[in-house]
Amino acid sequence: MEYYSYINIFETKGLAYLLLLSFLVLGVLLIKYLAGPERKDPVPGKKNATIRR
Amino acid sequence: MNTAAVPANEVVRFARFFLQELKPRGKWLTPFNVISIPIIAAGLVILYFRFTQGLGSVTNLSQQYPFGFWIGFDVMTGVALAGGAYVICFVVYVLRLEKYHSILKVTILNGLLAYVFYSGALLLDLGRPWHIINPIIGNSFGYNSVLFLVAWHFLLYTGALFLEFAPTIAEWAHWERLRKFLTSLTLGTVIVGITLSMLHQSGIGAMFLMAKPKIHPLWYSEYIPLLYFVSSIFGGLAMVIFEGTISGKVFSNLIGQKTHHSHDDIILGLGKGAAITMFVYYFFLAFIFMHGEKWKLINTSWGYWYLVEVIGFVLIPCFMFAYGVRNKKFGVIRTAAAMTVLGVILNRQNVCLIAYNWYVVDKYYPSWQEIVVTLMVVFVEVWVFRWIVTRMSVFSKE
Repeated sequence: MEYYSYINIFETKGLAYLLLLSFLVLGVLLIKYLAGPERKDPVPGKKNATIRR
Repeated sequence: MNTAAVPANEVVRFARFFLQELKPRGKWLTPFNVISIPIIAAGLVILYFRFTQGLGSVTNLSQQYPFGFWIGFDVMTGVALAGGAYVICFVVYVLRLEKYHSILKVTILNGLLAYVFYSGALLLDLGRPWHIINPIIGNSFGYNSVLFLVAWHFLLYTGALFLEFAPTIAEWAHWERLRKFLTSLTLGTVIVGITLSMLHQSGIGAMFLMAKPKIHPLWYSEYIPLLYFVSSIFGGLAMVIFEGTISGKVFSNLIGQKTHHSHDDIILGLGKGAAITMFVYYFFLAFIFMHGEKWKLINTSWGYWYLVEVIGFVLIPCFMFAYGVRNKKFGVIRTAAAMTVLGVILNRQNVCLIAYNWYVVDKYYPSWQEIVVTLMVVFVEVWVFRWIVTRMSVFSKE
């Protein structure tokens, strides 16, 4: 039995879920960050309208 | 009319043309030539001793370390950094993002040369190099070995890359009908090439699955094939940025104005791709770390070395790519690309050499001859690359 190592999957899974959630949230933030800042372009008929490029 | 005379004339014409093209162009006394020629000469002398007196005469390899720097750097790292070829082919031919078309040929050429030279360097490291043909000709196929898959994939993918680049060779040799025929094969070849490449990038990682007791637990994982595949994507993209920056300066007279102007936009796109894949890779590492409950290993000297690799050469370059893309800081993107290339080199060296047999007292260090031969392989590749790009239509002239 000396080669046997016990992994508590319940303990591991709790942290893994948190990590997965943080991955999803941070992933969305990264994509938004990489997309660049929102530019304010003049649009006919609207004043200071915001357009995402 | 004698029909046999036409191909015979064509062969004579091509032979004359080829001999003419072999003549050197430009200045001989350049800094690169002054450095590379003595190293190539020294490497050839070392290789003479390697093939006449065996591996032990020039390397520090032993029964405990059957492979060393030649496999670790040339084959493992060289192939990972050649991943840019299949990524750019996927982006251009499958995703149809035409703005990357101008760097397609040069990326394929880099991939082709990397496979020819770096996987070719495998011959140097095999005790009996003539046995390299065994998996191909059926002498002890070894179906259940990952190496069987890797050997076939290396061979087929190098052939696929050659076919993808072949229209440029046909154009250079003025074989118009052959060029049209080869161009018609491109899409099929690209799809086969991408499939093969994805499989053997992970296959190289899969070779380490049987070395679980030998690799330090921080670097060993059952998911190592997946890690190798994902790291080949951002490693390849970083290498395209890195090589593109050097080529853009050295061969600026061969690149058209339009391509020069669009280069910044291409770098931004590649940097964005690298940032996203590095982010995914970092979380894969975090999942594996957490799932394997490796916390207790982190507060050791191996743990600190692991953090240097993961934070210093994955997380920080990832942030640098993101910052550089967002703020259009090309210097930051290029620095991040260089760090990423170093990170991939470090990762492969860690898995293959540094953290391999980590418990052994007599560690392996590459001999100076091994380093000189590795430099020779890199320099010969650069020489061949330079010869091709100064003669064939590799860079976009637009």
